[in-house]
Amino acid sequence: MTSLLNLPSHLKKDDLTALLKQMWQIRFFEEKVDEFFAKGMIHGTTHLAVGQEASAVGSIAVLEERDKITSTHRGHGHCIAKGAEVNRMMAELFGRTTGYCKGKGGSMHIADVDKGNLGANGIVGGGFAIATGAALTSQMKNEGYVVLCFFGDGASNEGSFHEALNLASIWKLPVVFICENNQYGMSGPAKEMMNIEDIAARAESYGIPGKVVDGNDVFDVMNGVSEAVDRARNGQGPSIVEAKTYRWKGHSKSDAKKYRTREEEQEWRAKDPIARLRDVLIQEGLLTDEEAAEIKAAAKKEIEDSVEFSKQSPMPTIDDLMEDIYA
Amino acid sequence: MRELTYLEAVREAMSQEMRQNEDVFILGEDIGVYGGAFGVTRGMIEEFGPERIRNTPISEAAISGTAVGAALTGMRPILELQFSDFMTIAMDNMVNQAAKIRYMYGGKGKVPMVLRTPAGSGTGAAAQHSQSLEAWMAHVPGLKVVQPSTAYDAKGLLKAAIDEDNPVIFYEHKLCYKTKSDVPEELYSIPLGQADIKREGSDVTIVATAIMVHKSLEAAVELEKEGISVEVIDPRTLVPLDTDTIIESVKKTSRLVVVHEAVKRGGFGGEIASVIAESEAFDYLDAPIKRLGGKAVPIPYNPELEKSAIPGVDDIVAAVKETLNHR
Amino acid sequence: MAKEIFMPKLSSTMQVGTLLQWYKNEGDSVDVGEPLFEIMTDKINIEVESYEEGILLKKYFEEDDEVPINHVVGYIGEAGEKVPESAPGESGAAKEQEDLSDSREAQPDDLAQQGITETTSQEASRDSADSQPSADKIRATPAARRVSREENIPLATVTGSGPNGRIHQNDVMAFVSSKTSAKATPLAKKVAQAQGQDLQGVTGTGANGKIYRADVENAKQATLAAGTGGKRIKMEGIRKVVAQRTLQSKTTAPHVTLTTEVDMSEAINLRKQLLGMIEQQTGFRISYTEIIMKAVAFSLKQHPNVNVSLEGNEIVYKEDINLGLAVAADNGLMVPVVKHVDQKGLSSLTAECKRLGKAARDNQVKPDEMSGGTFTVSNLGMYAIDAFTPVINQPESAILGVGRINEKPVGIDGAIELRPMMVLSLSFDHRVIDGAPAAAFLTELKEALEQPVKLLV
Repeated sequence: MTSLLNLPSHLKKDDLTALLKQMWQIRFFEEKVDEFFAKGMIHGTTHLAVGQEASAVGSIAVLEERDKITSTHRGHGHCIAKGAEVNRMMAELFGRTTGYCKGKGGSMHIADVDKGNLGANGIVGGGFAIATGAALTSQMKNEGYVVLCFFGDGASNEGSFHEALNLASIWKLPVVFICENNQYGMSGPAKEMMNIEDIAARAESYGIPGKVVDGNDVFDVMNGVSEAVDRARNGQGPSIVEAKTYRWKGHSKSDAKKYRTREEEQEWRAKDPIARLRDVLIQEGLLTDEEAAEIKAAAKKEIEDSVEFSKQSPMPTIDDLMEDIYA
Repeated sequence: MRELTYLEAVREAMSQEMRQNEDVFILGEDIGVYGGAFGVTRGMIEEFGPERIRNTPISEAAISGTAVGAALTGMRPILELQFSDFMTIAMDNMVNQAAKIRYMYGGKGKVPMVLRTPAGSGTGAAAQHSQSLEAWMAHVPGLKVVQPSTAYDAKGLLKAAIDEDNPVIFYEHKLCYKTKSDVPEELYSIPLGQADIKREGSDVTIVATAIMVHKSLEAAVELEKEGISVEVIDPRTLVPLDTDTIIESVKKTSRLVVVHEAVKRGGFGGEIASVIAESEAFDYLDAPIKRLGGKAVPIPYNPELEKSAIPGVDDIVAAVKETLNHR
Repeated sequence: MAKEIFMPKLSSTMQVGTLLQWYKNEGDSVDVGEPLFEIMTDKINIEVESYEEGILLKKYFEEDDEVPINHVVGYIGEAGEKVPESAPGESGAAKEQEDLSDSREAQPDDLAQQGITETTSQEASRDSADSQPSADKIRATPAARRVSREENIPLATVTGSGPNGRIHQNDVMAFVSSKTSAKATPLAKKVAQAQGQDLQGVTGTGANGKIYRADVENAKQATLAAGTGGKRIKMEGIRKVVAQRTLQSKTTAPHVTLTTEVDMSEAINLRKQLLGMIEQQTGFRISYTEIIMKAVAFSLKQHPNVNVSLEGNEIVYKEDINLGLAVAADNGLMVPVVKHVDQKGLSSLTAECKRLGKAARDNQVKPDEMSGGTFTVSNLGMYAIDAFTPVINQPESAILGVGRINEKPVGIDGAIELRPMMVLSLSFDHRVIDGAPAAAFLTELKEALEQPVKLLV
């Protein structure tokens, strides 16, 4: 039985169905990638965020168009939530020239700098300082944008976490550090890897706010991040928002998940963020079963279309190899 | 024309550039009222204020990444790293982020930043503050690497580096700081990738970098007394490397001595020697290529030991004679 | 891709060609079939026409340069195409050809068919390869290797001055200049020094051009005789070829010259009878040369041991009777060849000799008309020359010198009569032809000219 959410009163039906659709897009995108990985049609490695859709969608839902994000190795959801075209994302995973990175970046480096997505990052903790720098630009040029820096529980143990948060705090930079605490840094359980329960508690050492939200409740995420973003935009400096969530799949493709139990996984699956949103919308009479099914089908079709788009897109040639090394 | 020291030339290039380009700012440790570890930014905070002369915490990982993030979003940061040895801490941001972002993102985004840092031995600062690690950076595609030896070159090359749309590692040799040369008052640019023939000669080509340019010129004067005519080439930038000038010189002289302070093993001299061996100049070589570099030892504290760890004028004279088959 | 222009091989003996003039400049456009440049071979001047169309991108050689056959002379291609800065040497096509023949040699079937001769020559070439020290194992700098390639100096012959005997560029250059600076006997050096004579200018007559005292003295005399004035003309083209070939012939073939007097009465009669007939047929007037050539062909047929050639250590008996006809052209001696003289009548022989003579004087002889001779006739009968010792036109082994026809008193049946007499001088290579067979041939020839009716048989 899923727990129902506290529906924020200011959101209109269109906003709410958009949230639901985006979450479905992420879910289907990840499932499709999983499938094609298994079929050997996508190579390399990839990190899926199935189960974490609410933290991505909820965080970014409160941003303005001009705001920016930095993402992580588990970043497909952030990209979709920031408005990326799924065609170009899927094409990137297929290594095609129509992909966001012309097939040169792959899963871990999808970026859309013009749209404010400063990029996923293959280095754990690699985004802290970059987000800080982007926030510095906003402050120095008085551009008014806020930067959301996504990171995981594991990254909070990197040295760059401390250095960047310290720097961002002393300069009062407009950056919000969003921790998606999915309980495991690869195989390392968060509770074994740090001596505190909440990563948000670390905020105290930088003299900034730290707030824990239910990462599987899209509205709770929105509320927490919205507060932090307002603060940042008002020149009051950075915050940490920690969204407690869970990744349903393994860390990456080669993960047998021996470090956790079936029961634990089932427990979290019961808190499926998509089902929870759908159910509350139906219960509140904002959505019919049929409408929900339509949204789901539309999202699924977009992802399936993206596969077709990718398959028909050209492969890069050797001539492209040495392009774009220098500006 | 008036004379400036190398240190003054670096400062003048930054000041003049900052007066005309609002996007340029400096960040680094103790660069404010202290004026930087070597006094390069002395007086600049008074002119430009703490917003643009940003004194940072001792956080090389954060400030390097912040520079990357700021550059990616429209600023042109100059990062001063107190000692080039600390590159190890900034390395992740330079190598895994700055150098690769444009390529990973399929040609989108650019990282116009300069990392300025004093390098080399001769100050008694011992093993962790005296290294010459430029070959590491030259190895990484996506970075440009500059190593000026004179005040004139320092000013012109720094201007070019700031104007670059790519990350540039700008090595300033500590012992060069006090050397003087004629420096034009106006701002000028020396294109990256243009070697300079510091002295023309016909018998042997010496390719030398940084402080070794000065030592090679001294050696050339010594050798001239014995009727040996030495050509001294300063590549000035390792990436991009002006191979043409070096190849043409070796075709003329048939002999090559490469000198750098960095440890010979794995040093950039190996690259220069290989360029010649692979080029049309090979068929003009009339003696084995001679490389002079630092001994494979951490730089010691004792001044006599410190001196003997790196090539001296006598070593250069002997190497030239060896290639000339003077026994 | 740019196409190679190469020095064509225009005859079997051609090794190099001298570039006489370019008709195109770099940057000019060239059509297929357009003349590109003129060359001179050992036998002929000829225009080389373009096989390609495009822009003449590069000329590696200038006028008077000697270029080995198949070496790249220049490139034709599209404007802006990259071509090598310096002459790349042998053309790619020629190299391919060599590769092809290399791989052919490896075919066992071929070897079986070619039999033992082929095997022997292969062994010989392997031996010679072994006897050359391998350049790979010599310590030499790249620059020294480059100069040795350019100057064609085997590195094994150069002494290195570097560590462990490493050869440097200077060592090769010193070797080159020591080679070009003459080798001389100590006495010759002493004499040269005493006379203030530069040995560089002295031609040595000893082995490998070694200079003896006599050479120094001769050179001195020549210098004195020449004085300082006089017009000097660079020896080139046909003059140079004649010089080389006559020297080669005289220094390799032991020449013996036999002479005999021929009573030309009957030959003169024959000519008178044929003169009008042949002129009517061909428009040319028959001369004694054609009659003599016909008689020579007749006699060679009877004496095949004179129609021979020395190739390596084998005497080759030629099946064809192809007679060279020495012609004095403005710039030197030309020897066009009349093929199968034995099979031709006097009429067609006349027409062909006249045509070839004119062509030779006009420098228009085709390469194949200059090659394949088995015996040469040199006629100086138009001058007041009775007899001379002609130089064999190698690879032939004999040559006939023809003197003037002159009335002389001759004893016939106890009476003295004036008869039109002509001296024939036969030079032959004693390595391959002995005196007796040569004498028998000359006798046969004399009789054929004295009784030309024999030629009808």
